[in-house]
Amino acid sequence: MRILRSKTGGEELRSIWRWELTLSAALLLLIVGLLGISFGPINLSFSSIVKSIFGSHNALSEQDQSVLFDIRLPRVILAALVGSALATSGAVYQTVFRNPLADPYLLGAAAGAGLGATIAITNSHQNVYGLLPIFSFLGAILAVLVSFFISGKFFAEPNTLLLSGIAVGSFATAIQTYLQQRHSASLRPVYSWILGELTAASWSVVSWSAIYISIALFILFAIAKQLDGLMLTDEEAYSLGVNPNRLRIIAVIAATLATATAVAASGLIGFVGIVVPHLVRGATHRVTNRALPTIALVGASFLVLADLGARTLLSPAELPIGVITAFVGAPFFLIVLRRKRLVNQ
Amino acid sequence: MFKRLFSILTLSAFIGISLPTIPSQAATTYPKRIISLSPSATEDLFAIGAGKQVIAVDDNSNYPTSAPFTKLSSFTPNVEALIAYHPDLVVIQSTATKSDAVVAQLKKLKVAVYIEHTPSSLQGAYGEILDLGKVTGNSNKASALVTTMKKSIASDIKGAKLATPKSFFHELDNTLYSATSGTFIGTVYKDFNLTNIADAAAKADDGGYPQLQSEYVIKANPDFIFLADAPDGETLQTVSARAGWSTITAVSSKKVLALPADLPSRWGPRIVEFYKFIASSIK
Repeated sequence: MRILRSKTGGEELRSIWRWELTLSAALLLLIVGLLGISFGPINLSFSSIVKSIFGSHNALSEQDQSVLFDIRLPRVILAALVGSALATSGAVYQTVFRNPLADPYLLGAAAGAGLGATIAITNSHQNVYGLLPIFSFLGAILAVLVSFFISGKFFAEPNTLLLSGIAVGSFATAIQTYLQQRHSASLRPVYSWILGELTAASWSVVSWSAIYISIALFILFAIAKQLDGLMLTDEEAYSLGVNPNRLRIIAVIAATLATATAVAASGLIGFVGIVVPHLVRGATHRVTNRALPTIALVGASFLVLADLGARTLLSPAELPIGVITAFVGAPFFLIVLRRKRLVNQ
Repeated sequence: MFKRLFSILTLSAFIGISLPTIPSQAATTYPKRIISLSPSATEDLFAIGAGKQVIAVDDNSNYPTSAPFTKLSSFTPNVEALIAYHPDLVVIQSTATKSDAVVAQLKKLKVAVYIEHTPSSLQGAYGEILDLGKVTGNSNKASALVTTMKKSIASDIKGAKLATPKSFFHELDNTLYSATSGTFIGTVYKDFNLTNIADAAAKADDGGYPQLQSEYVIKANPDFIFLADAPDGETLQTVSARAGWSTITAVSSKKVLALPADLPSRWGPRIVEFYKFIASSIK
């Protein structure tokens, strides 16, 4: 006779999520970050980087040191921030909309940001890059707000929200296309922005994006446990003490803030928000939202690696980072699709 | 003992302060390691005698053939790739992607930058040659070059300027994109008293490169057609084969002229060759 022993609280928690996984993701980020800082058209050795960071002034030549601190470091940090923002908001959108193909650009955020960027590029003749982040940020936020409003009511069903997001996105794209046609000189800068680039990374960009992204991630990590309740139907969620409507609103607001900041800092980098959550969920065999911190860390590593590829694969030219994430993401989709089909058969 | 320590400390402080800092560029030392990310600027630099000061040019700078060709991109400059050459002057186009950010980063790394703005007229082109002469220490050669260019262009215009204006169509590609008189290339044609049929569509694009409709070109019936897309395969034959185009004066009188590659898109010293070509075509 088998004696059945119910799990203790701690064991039960461990069966839902293990903190070692989060720790290994953090370690991965550290290693990938060091790789990212040392490679590029100018290669810097590990030891001199570490010595420079710890204050030594002659481990690297003055120019190399400037490359390291003024160009590489902010770029790698920005890649980590943007990667974590996109991955986390992708995971949250997938939970809120109960759709494994949801990405952070749902609800028209991408099209809105693109329109904002196009308006900035076609209207300012100097210091475009001062206005560009503000306009694309506002564009993303406004597009999501409009999606909410035209879906009828604020606590709308996820599917209705999705449809209004598609409508808003199409309209914004149409305006953007028209503006680009009227200002042919803007074609190249807008296209390059749409493909996503971290070239303009600097400490000032890192500072404001770090603030907004940290706020958004903090909110999302705080409600992570409750987000699991959204995977059930609304009635079941209520009975567990979770208010699904309010939770959805908070989650979408925080995720949109993270996405809009990421887009303002680096353009439209696709696939991170879809691929990374699935990667983590598939690798750890857990669908819980307690994995959000790990998803954020893995997202950061993913984008740092992609940026490394963008800087080195076609050196000295730069490959747009969106191309690399798409190259990884598209086959990934096929694998996920195949697995689902095999499971459902 | 303390006295000894004190004197050692002051001595080392003295040595530390007097250690040479990186010498800043004195006003009279000219750059010896120039990177040019603009095909027109490359032509300018080599024409004013600064060629030996140039260490790298971008992947579109194909003239002169002796220029140090590299894979650097003029459209999407990469700061790290530029720094790897240890330049002391970088010539970059203001229309390059993220040029503001690249310039800011180069300045942070203490590399001098010359930002080239697309000229809208000959004055701008001359101004750029003189600027580059000043910056590289070849002012005399630069002024001499400008004088020669002005003389050559003036004589070409005098010899070929039309008494009564004739119309023309400058074709950028076979989807009928054109350039208005507001662009640099448009001003060249204007000097010969040629009327640009694309000016009617000037409002369609604030950059001066509208796309025209086939019907409109047929109706406007230009006397000359200049094919800037000749390197892509457009010829008198392909143009006459287009539906309805055989009725155009330029086509029936065989005044469809293939422009030499690169000349219509640059504003360097070879602009005089472009003027000569137009002059000989409309005689």
